[in-house]
Amino acid sequence: MPDVQVLANDFINKLRKRKIEGSQATSRQTAELLRSVISQTRVPYTNQAGALIDAVRAVGEQLIAANPVELAVGNIVRRVLHIIREENLSLATAAIAGLGLSSVSDDEDDAERDNHPVLSAAVVAAAARSTLRPPSLQTLLEDVPDSGAVPHTSSSGGDSEGKSKSADKSSRSRKLKHDVIEALNELIQDITTCHELIAEQAVEHIHQNEVILTLGSSRTVLEFLCAAKEKKRSFRVFVAEGAPRYQGHLLAKDLVTRGLQTTLITDSAVFAMISRVNMVIVGAHAVMANGGVIAPVGLNMVALAAQRHAVPFVVLAGSHKLCPLYPHNPEVLLNELRSPSELLDFGEFSDCMDFGTGTASPLLHVVNPTFDYVPPKLVSLFITDTGGHNPSYVYRLIADYYSADDLVVQRRPPTAS
Amino acid sequence: MWWRSASFILDQRHVEDPPNDVASSSKEPDTLSTLSPPQTYSSFMAAADPFNPIPNPKISAYYQTRAAHTAVVTSDWLAQAQAAVGHHPDDSQAPQTQLLASPSASGKSFCVINEFNNWRKQPDLAEAVAAIRALAAVIRASEATTMMELEIELKKASDSLKSWDTTSISLTAGCDLFMRYVTRTSALEYEDFNSARSRLIERAEKFGEISCKARRIIAMLSQDFIFDGCTILVHGFSRVVLEVLKTAAQNKKLFRVFCTEGRPDRTGLRLSNELAKLDVPVKLLIDSAVAYTMDEVDMVFVGADGVVESGGIINMMGTYQIALVAHSMNKPVYVAAESYKFARLYPLDQKDMAPALRPIDFGVPIPSKVEVERSARDYTPPQYLTLLFTDLGVLTPSVVSDELIQLYL
Repeated sequence: MPDVQVLANDFINKLRKRKIEGSQATSRQTAELLRSVISQTRVPYTNQAGALIDAVRAVGEQLIAANPVELAVGNIVRRVLHIIREENLSLATAAIAGLGLSSVSDDEDDAERDNHPVLSAAVVAAAARSTLRPPSLQTLLEDVPDSGAVPHTSSSGGDSEGKSKSADKSSRSRKLKHDVIEALNELIQDITTCHELIAEQAVEHIHQNEVILTLGSSRTVLEFLCAAKEKKRSFRVFVAEGAPRYQGHLLAKDLVTRGLQTTLITDSAVFAMISRVNMVIVGAHAVMANGGVIAPVGLNMVALAAQRHAVPFVVLAGSHKLCPLYPHNPEVLLNELRSPSELLDFGEFSDCMDFGTGTASPLLHVVNPTFDYVPPKLVSLFITDTGGHNPSYVYRLIADYYSADDLVVQRRPPTAS
Repeated sequence: MWWRSASFILDQRHVEDPPNDVASSSKEPDTLSTLSPPQTYSSFMAAADPFNPIPNPKISAYYQTRAAHTAVVTSDWLAQAQAAVGHHPDDSQAPQTQLLASPSASGKSFCVINEFNNWRKQPDLAEAVAAIRALAAVIRASEATTMMELEIELKKASDSLKSWDTTSISLTAGCDLFMRYVTRTSALEYEDFNSARSRLIERAEKFGEISCKARRIIAMLSQDFIFDGCTILVHGFSRVVLEVLKTAAQNKKLFRVFCTEGRPDRTGLRLSNELAKLDVPVKLLIDSAVAYTMDEVDMVFVGADGVVESGGIINMMGTYQIALVAHSMNKPVYVAAESYKFARLYPLDQKDMAPALRPIDFGVPIPSKVEVERSARDYTPPQYLTLLFTDLGVLTPSVVSDELIQLYL
């Protein structure tokens, strides 16, 4: 455990100092850290899932607090929690199916099931399954047990008196961790290969002799465009430079080395050129639950220009960028203000920005936001590693990847037991 | 080229000319306009066929009750009430005697409607909760010995409730939800009929708590969206929206509320009373002043009488108008609705629903030739709504049909 704590502190420091750039790197490192946390957590015989969930929550809370704007960290923490719950549930249903009728008598002893001793195994499994799904109209009238009961169903199966079951018990305690770590490995694999999966879909969207517009530099967009080029599509790319970091320059250079006809324009020229463009393809920092996009600054303007000229606005995002939260004030709360030195040269402007010239505060303020919020109605299509989706479909993807209980990652206060 | 033919005038005359003396009393708008809503309801009841327990289907009982709950008692209303009681002494007793004098053959269905009416009179109870409580009473009173029998009885009771007031969406939705739950519960292997029955009754009773909990969940979910210094426009008196604003006030958020007057129910007056008690700055607007003040507004909050499959809502008359104005000025429209209000309707336009009419009091007599648009509600399509706050979570309008499909398929 102390070993993992050192790793965790190291990672938290890097997050706090913004030393890790890019959501893919962040997600991969978060997943690897959580994998070490899980493999080093000692699980008791009963309520294993609960112990794992607590351990992940404790670390996750600190990670999210270190950099709340980097939503990928929170996404991966919630994905891991969902994986733990899912694996636990599949093990529990398998165990209950295996135990068969004997679980009926066990339930009478179980303190959690106080009201219906005559429930069959099918009912128990159905109730357990329903706690994993988000609350829905179907479960409205049902007596939905507390999520803490989910791990207990597995333990009630495991705590039964049968001697043959004690062998199952110890094998199951290893099995849960094992399954979770396997699933986590798959997740890390998915994160690393998301670019390839997205790039595979390029041919369907980019056609012959098209003009594509993009802003700034995104590795996903680069791979996407190159994949289409490899399939012998000939097209042109307009790259808006993406002030103040001018990463569009780097993208333009990369595209040229791969043999694509590129035109470099300033951000201000986007509206002038948009009528000549067939499609806008951009990357994203994060995708929110309502279909809105947190994207590098300048993209809201491009989206508005694209809507005005009826140009499709396509966003490429790996599934680790999908966030289950709804933005209520994204321009402020999900934004970061960077150093004014990217805009101004401190030497020339030192007198304007100086605090010591008699007046309390300088007359010149410099605001350098990192991100823009693009509302869902401006986005035409999301291309993720699972395929192309409408912004109004994002809630479905969220229901697949996340559980409703994990929206607020907070360690449960320790109960007196 | 597609000129509207004037035949609509002739068609209207046909519709307004039924042999029924109930509708003919609606052709005397003089009496109509000087009586306030509860009086006209009872006079309609008196005019109705004494053996027909179902009130005039054109007048919406649902909106009458809501008006009764939210109406402001003024001195001239009281004076009119006194006068009306003096003129028609048999009116107030007529409804009760009618109900009692009914043929005993339909005794069971009567119990349901009586029961439902009793529950509905409580101002804090939602319609769907009242319906489910009434159905629970049916289960309690039933003498069935098998699940099938019980289900058939419940179906009959639920149908009679629904036909009693065809305009109330939450009533229909609540009945459907409960019937669905009963059918699915009986599919689970309960060996003992009595334990299944007691479980059904217990869940139905608990539904009232679910409804209260739903309001609190919705209030919690919407807290993030109310920020300090915001201006909220509210239309109609929704108990859920009131809960949202109460919670925000308790969390010491600084915001102000614009209330539309809400003619003809004057819901705005009632709501502004409640908000003034919470020390929230309130401003009353007449309904026509919404566009005028919309640029000062940061968000619009409304409740819903029903949420339809497309993700749109059915709510008090005026909601569509406000949503259109808000949409054109890029203001978000938030809807607060409990999940049991989701209904299997898909209105294609404003007239595509069962008409729910309520009498409107203009304060002066209207000549008989002048028609009055008496519909009590309108339909707001989903493209004008931003988010729905429900006890199932924060939803975008497109999620609603998904939820409904999951329930009914």
